[in-house]
Formats: sequence, C-alpha cells, structure tokens
Amino acid sequence: MPLGTLDRTPPPFFRQGASALSKLMVCGALALFLMVADLRFRVAQPVRAIVATVLYPAQWLALRPVLLVRYGAEYFESLKSAQAGEDAARRKLTQQSQRANQVEQLAVENERLRKLLELRQRVTAPGQAAEVLYDTADPYTRRVVIDKGMAQGIEAGSPVLDESGVLGQVTRVYPLVSEVTLLTDREQAIPVLNARTGARSVAYGDPSSRGGSLELRFMAGNSDVKPGDILTTSGVDGVYPPGLPVARIEKVERRADSGFARITCSPQALVDGARHVMVLSPIAARIPPRPAPEDAAASAKKGARK
Amino acid sequence: MIMRPGQQLLLPANPVFIWGSLLLALLVNMLPLGRTAWLPDFLALALVFWSVHQPLRVGIGAAFIFGLAMDVHQAALLGQHALAYTALSYFAITIHRRLLWFSVPSQAVQVLPLFVAAHAIELAVRMLAGGIFPGWTVFLTPLIEAVLWPVVSVVLLVPQRRAPDPDENRPL
Repeated sequence: MPLGTLDRTPPPFFRQGASALSKLMVCGALALFLMVADLRFRVAQPVRAIVATVLYPAQWLALRPVLLVRYGAEYFESLKSAQAGEDAARRKLTQQSQRANQVEQLAVENERLRKLLELRQRVTAPGQAAEVLYDTADPYTRRVVIDKGMAQGIEAGSPVLDESGVLGQVTRVYPLVSEVTLLTDREQAIPVLNARTGARSVAYGDPSSRGGSLELRFMAGNSDVKPGDILTTSGVDGVYPPGLPVARIEKVERRADSGFARITCSPQALVDGARHVMVLSPIAARIPPRPAPEDAAASAKKGARK
Repeated sequence: MIMRPGQQLLLPANPVFIWGSLLLALLVNMLPLGRTAWLPDFLALALVFWSVHQPLRVGIGAAFIFGLAMDVHQAALLGQHALAYTALSYFAITIHRRLLWFSVPSQAVQVLPLFVAAHAIELAVRMLAGGIFPGWTVFLTPLIEAVLWPVVSVVLLVPQRRAPDPDENRPL
C-alpha cells in the first residue's frame, strides 16, 4: 500500500493555530456586533450588499430548478384552464375599459378644476414593472425578493403594488435585486383612508393569523367602521400615492373592556402569490417640503415663562 | 492507530470534495421553497459533518462565513446564522474525538443536542429582535436533521471508501 493512502495524518505538533474556544469567542463577538449594527445602527448594509453580490450567481442557479418546475407545470396545464383564464381576463378588461376610457377625460377635468380652485397639482409617481423572484426563507419576517435593484434605479422606501392593490414597500436595495417588506409583516405600517367615511388611520401588519392580515389600531370603539369597507392609501405620508386600494375590513370586534375596537382587514393585493409587481418611486421628492417649525428659541422662552 | 473495532480504513479526504459538498449544501439551502419553518438546514449538517471528520480543514471560520451567506440570502438578521453555525462548529470540534467511537445511529443521538442548540440560538435571537414566532414546526427541524445524520455520513464518506488500488474487479 503506497504512502498517503490512509486518512489518518498525525495532528501538527507545533503549528496548532488559535484554540477552538478563542475562535468561538472572536466569531461570536463579531456576529453579535453585526447583529447590533444591523438592528440598531443600520450600518451593516455595505456588508450585506457585498455578500449579496457575491451570492448572486448562486441564487440565480438555485432559482433555476424551481422556475423549471413552475414553468413546466404551466406548460402542461390543460388548454381548458388556459382558455378559462383568458376568458376571465377579457371579462375583467371589458369591465375596466369603460372606466379606463373615462380616466383621460376625468384627469383633464380634474386638472382644470384644480387650477380653477388654485389647488396644487396631483403628483404622479413613475413606476417600473418587476417580477417577484421568491419569498425569503426567513420564517420570522414576511418579505419577498424582486428582480430589480440599484442598477435599475430602485430606491429604498418605494411602494410596491400588484394588480389589485398595495403589496408592500422596498426596504433593502442590492445591486441587482431588492427586498420588499409585505404589508403583513409585523413591522410594516401604512397610512390608510376609509373610502366610505373618509376617516384616516394607520394599518399595521398582523402576521399571526393564517396567511397574514392587517390590523387597524387605535380606532375608537364607536367609530364608523363596517366589515366590507375598502381602505385606500391616504397620501399623507409622502411615500404612497393617494387612492391605491390597500385592504378590505373583515371583522370589527367592539369590546366592552377596551376603548378601542379590534379591527381586522385582509390585504387586497395577493401577498402570498404575487408575481408581477409595479415599483413606484416615492412621491416625497415631488411634494413641497414641510414648513419650518416656529422659531424654536421663541417657543422655548415662552415655555420657560410658563 | 487506535480505532473503533470494525471501522473501515478511509482514503484521505479530497479538499475539492469537502468544499464542493459545502457549496452544494449552500445551494440546496438557497432553493426558494417558500417560507417553511421545518425545512432541515443541509448546510448545518454538512458543517457539523466536516467539523467532526476534518476539523483541521473545516472549522469555525468557515462556519462563520457560510452563516453570513445564509443570513444575506434569507434576508435574516445579519449574524444570526453566523452565530448559530459558529456555535455548532465549536461544539462539533469539541466532541469530534469522542463521536467517531460510536456507531452511526448513536452518533445521530449525540449530534441532536448540537442542532437543538443552534436552532435555539436562532430562535432566541430573533424573538429578542422582535420577529414573528414561526410556529411549532420549527422544533421539528433539529429532529429531522439528526435523522438525516446517518444519510449524510454515508453520502459524504463515499469518496473515501473507494478501493485504494482499483482493478477490473473493483473499478471504483
């Protein structure tokens, strides 16, 4: 048997390197530092962008089998269901065509009326289409990854829509892809307007229920909210353009032990199955700046006198 | 050379195969299969396996780097997988001299606490950082990984179990 055939090599006698415990300490401290940097100071984004760019080919490769299965399944989908889908799409198009044709006229009319009343013009947000690549595997958050990134001019904070409503908001931008936090994520909030009553409020993500929903917090127990009301974006936040459908109210629980009602809404967008989305640019750049607060020194003096 | 009775003499491990298997495990982990909490972490399995069998080649530093890659891919908290894999690799290196004296099924029982610890670290970190509780299926993951240990020990040792002198009767 030639030399070097067996796996058993004696351990190095002098060149032992750092001990496992010291390596654990160093790597653990580094990991903790990264966690705090990521969570509290938001300074870990360059590290993320570098690793994401290095990983991009691997992610592209890992996506292939899944896409193959998805497109393969679609290819073998029966002709009948494809025709049914086309029929439904045509019907929807016919229903929408009337309203769509009137939009031009209404927009012109609106512009004239606004000029007449000397109101500020509505802001329109330019958008670009993107495709959802995959849901992130992290079970602790609700996010998806889309196939447009810094190279295509996506900005962090941009609202993302699908064909039926607001889907979420871009929270991290990498060179070639970006991450969208869905409305149902626990840390996501969106200012909404009840289209029936005109009452403004804020909807928070509530992922605890199955499939995810939104919760309208801090609405008084006797407020005018009914199941079936449509919530749209209110446009007061400088992120979402006004009037986009967000959610439909599902359940209103008025409880005796609390001053607030517990209101559950289901998102209008397909948060679990959206594939083609629109990324709008945030409207904050095109709305006028906030008026400066009153003279801070004067108000401080007033406060001191009291 | 002192070995467990009945243990086979192995060929030296090929570094290309070691790193290739780790990269393959990373790719398998990256398959976009949706948000399922119970999916076993193949990269953790491969890291523990190589930390036990080749502690001089695959160690804590490699585990940390692979953990960072998983964090960025999953859009998780940066450092969460890195910390879990670092601890995993450290414990694997701690028990590597003892573990190989046992038969493969009892090895699986002994690596179970390692996987439990790794997933407990991840869960604790994310709960502290204000994540959503992913459901009780998350506790199945370490069990599934321990059950997969015998499979991994067969698959990853295949190249080292080939004949040292292949002839026409034993081509491989």
